[in-house]
Amino acid sequence: MAPMNPRILVIDDDTALAEMIGIVLRAEGFDVDMCADGDAALGTFRSTQPDVVLLDVMLPGIDGTQVCRLVREESNVPIIMLTAKSDTVDVVHGLESGADDYVVKPFKPKELVARIRARLRHNDEPVAEQLTVGDLEIDVTGHRVVRDGEAISLTPLEFDLLVALARKPWQVFSREVLLERVWGYRHSADTRLVNVHVQRLRSKIEHDPENPEIVLTVRGVGYRAGSAAQP
Amino acid sequence: MTRSPVRALRRAVTAWRTSLRVKVIGSTLVVALVALVLVGTVMAATIRDGIFDQRVNTLLLESSRSASIAQSTFNASTASNGTQVQQLLNDMMSALQSGGSSDHDIFLWRSLDAGPASISVNDISTAPERGSTITGQLRSAVVAGGDKQHWQSVAIPTADGTEPGVIVGSTVEVPVAGTFELYFLYSLAPEQETLTFIQQVLAISSILLVGLLGAVTWLVTRQVVTPISQAAAVAERLADGHLDERLVVRGRDEVATLGSSFNAMAASLQDQIERLAALSAMQRRFVSDVSHELRTPLTTVRMASELIYDSRADLPPALGRSAELLAMQLDRFESLLNDLLEISRFDAGAAILDAEAHDVRSLVEHTVEGMTPLSELKGVPVLVDLGTQDATADIDQVRVERILRNLLANAIEHADGTVVEVTVRADHRAVAVRVRDHGVGLTREQTAHVFDRFWRGDPARARTTGGTGLGLSIAQEDALLHGGRLEVWGRPQHGAAFMLTLPRRAGMPLTGSPMTITGSDVEAAAAFLADVGSASRRRAQGPAAIPELTDFEEQP
Repeated sequence: MAPMNPRILVIDDDTALAEMIGIVLRAEGFDVDMCADGDAALGTFRSTQPDVVLLDVMLPGIDGTQVCRLVREESNVPIIMLTAKSDTVDVVHGLESGADDYVVKPFKPKELVARIRARLRHNDEPVAEQLTVGDLEIDVTGHRVVRDGEAISLTPLEFDLLVALARKPWQVFSREVLLERVWGYRHSADTRLVNVHVQRLRSKIEHDPENPEIVLTVRGVGYRAGSAAQP
Repeated sequence: MTRSPVRALRRAVTAWRTSLRVKVIGSTLVVALVALVLVGTVMAATIRDGIFDQRVNTLLLESSRSASIAQSTFNASTASNGTQVQQLLNDMMSALQSGGSSDHDIFLWRSLDAGPASISVNDISTAPERGSTITGQLRSAVVAGGDKQHWQSVAIPTADGTEPGVIVGSTVEVPVAGTFELYFLYSLAPEQETLTFIQQVLAISSILLVGLLGAVTWLVTRQVVTPISQAAAVAERLADGHLDERLVVRGRDEVATLGSSFNAMAASLQDQIERLAALSAMQRRFVSDVSHELRTPLTTVRMASELIYDSRADLPPALGRSAELLAMQLDRFESLLNDLLEISRFDAGAAILDAEAHDVRSLVEHTVEGMTPLSELKGVPVLVDLGTQDATADIDQVRVERILRNLLANAIEHADGTVVEVTVRADHRAVAVRVRDHGVGLTREQTAHVFDRFWRGDPARARTTGGTGLGLSIAQEDALLHGGRLEVWGRPQHGAAFMLTLPRRAGMPLTGSPMTITGSDVEAAAAFLADVGSASRRRAQGPAAIPELTDFEEQP
């Protein structure tokens, strides 16, 4: 039997758009499930167990950011927000609720597919690797981060961000480079994605997110990993 | 030493200029003081003269009476020799001394111009030591005047200085001995005492009056000034945006009227501002709603069109071409929608500057590179001169790139196959990018309208880039949002130039531009060099004059 197609859950109240997305994604070889209501979204998510969630920000019932939070509470599944608002405040608000990425309407089918594939990509490149940064042990193969024998739960994107920084602790990464390495973009100029995700990653792995020791800001340039190992 | 009085004076001048109360109290006191000094002086003089005149009249009367008593006594005397006359004089002396109302001294001197006497009689007086107060002038006047009275004010020497006095003189005929001069010396010390007392009372009451006036003025100004300064404070709070601030109104006087009018004005202002704010918020919400409502169906249409467009090879030619047109016009529709939303965002004041330090030169290079397909299509070479100076500035990369794309697309489209020149120059305060074409150019009237919304330079012109007519309006708004400037220059048949000038640091006001919009490259370079020169000179004078730019140099 052929390997299972990736499952995509599309949560959007606009049935025409959802159906269109369905047509495009099925043509690209994905299995697509639909949900048109914020209240039903979590139930559908549990029953379908998708590999990627496409989530409209404005939904009847519970709104998109709320759905995003609920899904995030029980899963690290990649979430891509579909938003009509490209203003900074709206985007940051969406990302802070736990989304990995966002696509601004109107988007092109190819762009959407590229974003989905970028979020699925890390699943099919297993490399046996063990990294250490600060007091964290990173098992790249097993997708696990451990501190003092205790596992820390990260989303795949947060994990990728941490690994990208930890692999070259001596190197300072600009936001643009991180966008390319972690998100897989070549041209997007939106560095807000990086800022928000670094904040979220810090809140999970730093002892004191206000005084980070693992993901350090290099003013005017970007970010780098803290001291690689204990001296 | 000389500084502190100067400083005190300066402080007083400042207080005078800044405080109404100081001004009112100060001028009241000065006017009152001047008036009181004038009135006091006149009063003191009048009282003094009155007392003196009255006293002198009394004394003249008294002395005249004494003199006539003495004369009649002498006339009745039968003394015939020197001893008897001397005795007569001595008796007269004590009689005169004891008579009269006030303390006085008496001098009975033989007249100066009396001829040689048949008998020798001694001059006598009750206080010989005070004889010097009688001047020769008075004596000759007395002698010449016969039995008429003559008087003179004198200063009587005492143990501790002098005291005022009056001396009255007349002549008497003494039997045998001839004419004698009779002088009465009266002390005016009691009158002087009275006068001093009155003057003291006057001075003290003047001082009290001035003090009282000051206090009254202070109270009055307090009643007027306090509401004024309260109103000023409240007005300042209002200006700071605390629109709920109001004055406390008491009573029904003019100040209360001022207070209630002020409050009415504040209420009306608050009402207007809140209404405008509500309108603006509504507008912003509307923009965002329109955005969502239009974009969702547009996404669906667009995806559908793309799907059809991708399989146009399988369609009959007419349908295939339709798919192409559909896809193309959807692109245009989308950019028009985006531009409209952007403009509404500016109008609603909802546009936010997301500024970070970026190298404008690399941004220009990158943008020019992105325009290559269009410039090749149009056969317009784009020459870029990035200058030699670092051109890092706090910019919103997305917005500046949008401005540059717009200017470049415009220039390439209107260049008519000639060269487009892009020049970047920077000085310590600003970064400027100029885009110059040598095409049909713009008339003066056209340059005035070039930033108007939906304005078209030449309505008959075929457009291939599908501009929305909002590009330059947005570009100008973007430049203004940076605190920068977008300028235009044009001349028919000589081409047009657009120059974007941005401050190096967000919030730094623009004072000039590193280059001129019309200048040739040579001129521009010279201007640039001059600017760099002045920058380094200023830097040598003091670091406070220019903002530190080290942050930019960190940037790779």
